[in-house]
Amino acid sequence: MSKELNPDPAPSSPEAQAPMTVVPVRHPWRWVAVAVLAVLTAQFVHLAATNPAFDWPFMIDNAFRPPVIEGLLKGTLAGTVIAMTIGIVVGVIVAIMRLSPNPVLSGAAWVFTWVFRAMPRVVLIILFAGLGTLWKRIEFGLPFDEQLGWLFGIEDFRARLFGFDAHTVLTAFVAGMLALGLSEAAYMAEIVRAGIQSVDEGQGEAASALGMTRGQILRRIVLPQAMRVIIPPTGNETIAMLKDTSLLAFAPLTVELFYQLSAVGHRTFNVFPMLIAAALYYLFLASVLMVFQYFLERKFSAGRVRGVQR
Amino acid sequence: MTAMIKIEGVHKRFGTNEVLRGIDLEVRTGEVCCVLGPSGSGKSTLLRCVNHLEKVNAGRISVDGRLIGYQQRGSKLYELREKEIAAQRRDIGMVFQRFNLFPHFTALENVMEGPVQVLGKSRAAVKARAQELLDRVGLGDRGGAYPVQLSGGQQQRVAIARALAMEPKVMLFDEPTSALDPELVGEVLDVMRDLARSGMTMMVVTHEIGFAREVGDSLVFMDGGVVVESGPPREVIANPQHERTKAFLSKVL
Repeated sequence: MSKELNPDPAPSSPEAQAPMTVVPVRHPWRWVAVAVLAVLTAQFVHLAATNPAFDWPFMIDNAFRPPVIEGLLKGTLAGTVIAMTIGIVVGVIVAIMRLSPNPVLSGAAWVFTWVFRAMPRVVLIILFAGLGTLWKRIEFGLPFDEQLGWLFGIEDFRARLFGFDAHTVLTAFVAGMLALGLSEAAYMAEIVRAGIQSVDEGQGEAASALGMTRGQILRRIVLPQAMRVIIPPTGNETIAMLKDTSLLAFAPLTVELFYQLSAVGHRTFNVFPMLIAAALYYLFLASVLMVFQYFLERKFSAGRVRGVQR
Repeated sequence: MTAMIKIEGVHKRFGTNEVLRGIDLEVRTGEVCCVLGPSGSGKSTLLRCVNHLEKVNAGRISVDGRLIGYQQRGSKLYELREKEIAAQRRDIGMVFQRFNLFPHFTALENVMEGPVQVLGKSRAAVKARAQELLDRVGLGDRGGAYPVQLSGGQQQRVAIARALAMEPKVMLFDEPTSALDPELVGEVLDVMRDLARSGMTMMVVTHEIGFAREVGDSLVFMDGGVVVESGPPREVIANPQHERTKAFLSKVL
């Protein structure tokens, strides 16, 4: 056979020219799955609609009563916002301390995270609420003033600047916020630290080479880039916190969504509909947070996607 | 001409690995000094010592007559504080192999960042100057683009403009074209050539022999943490004296 290129290739075969129907791959099992899920969904809807235990009219009648709404706003929502604010602010500070070249700061940050991550939130809430048993008054001034007084032979030496009555300051709400906020800070510290460490080292070097200080580099260059890594788990944490505010009942704080809903249930001996109401409330609130998170993530992805120009 | 960069007896170790073993080097004002050498010869480390991104273990480096990273009082060297080191770096521009542009800022914002944050100038004044610098590196129309939307060569030119925005006395280049596709190398070298012509003092770690020969005023060949040979680029390249220089040049020419 010659190795020359065929100067006159044969016209393409009739099969290649005729229009063909392309048959895509069939997925029969998908239809089976759809059928199974449809039946299960129908069963569930039927159950919810016909089983008297749901008692929808009772639920709707009671789920929007003023004490419930007050619990939702003042306990659950305000609690989530305040505890997360404490958690994020303290968490960022602890993360920066942890990454500091100063061994004292970094060690202190490690101890903080170690302690607060180890404690269950319920235990922390009850513990903080009980701090009033340690001190009747919380006072600030010279530490160990009484003992120093003994040392120099002064009876009843006191060097206090100001103080508060423990019961007026450490209300159930304040104690609960401190407990949830500091617990959250321990988790946020780890999240922020991971975010900061995810930023390429070259970024800090380039900023240093411009003459920026460590604080400027962190604020202008590293943290904004770390946000991309920090936001998704922070969204998770916020949703978890929303649910964990139901633990505030242990403080004990009664102005809180779940406590109020179940109180209605216990008072009327009709518990189940109020549990469903709680489930629906939390489902709705978490969904709102998810939408919020979506927009935040989009904002901080600037410069990451080729198509996006500001 | 006076020495802009003066490196005396510099040693640098990473753990037990001695990367620099006594470097002496001078770059005079307005001079372009190209540093050549095989990878691992310590040339990038030396460059990073000049703006104190790396601390030297022995020896001293001064830029424009000021000791870098330390202050001498009597016979003692006192380490400078972080803020003082940051202030010293304002006068020393640096361009990196991997560009290291800030990805969350546009090209223009990258160039503005230094003067606004470090020198505390007003954004309006800085903006006009940043635009001029982008024009100078041929990217006047790409100011609104994010780094990810720019080619490697364009990113590196923005990085040069970013360093120039601080109006440094010295520019350090750490293999500025090594991460670029071959067809993009030329545009970056052109910008560097213009910069050299404008009288900027430059220390350039590079593998571009052609650039070193054409633009360089002096050439330093490093290997194994020491300066093996130095002199006018044409002479060193055409007539290397040392075996290691010969071996290296025969491979890259």
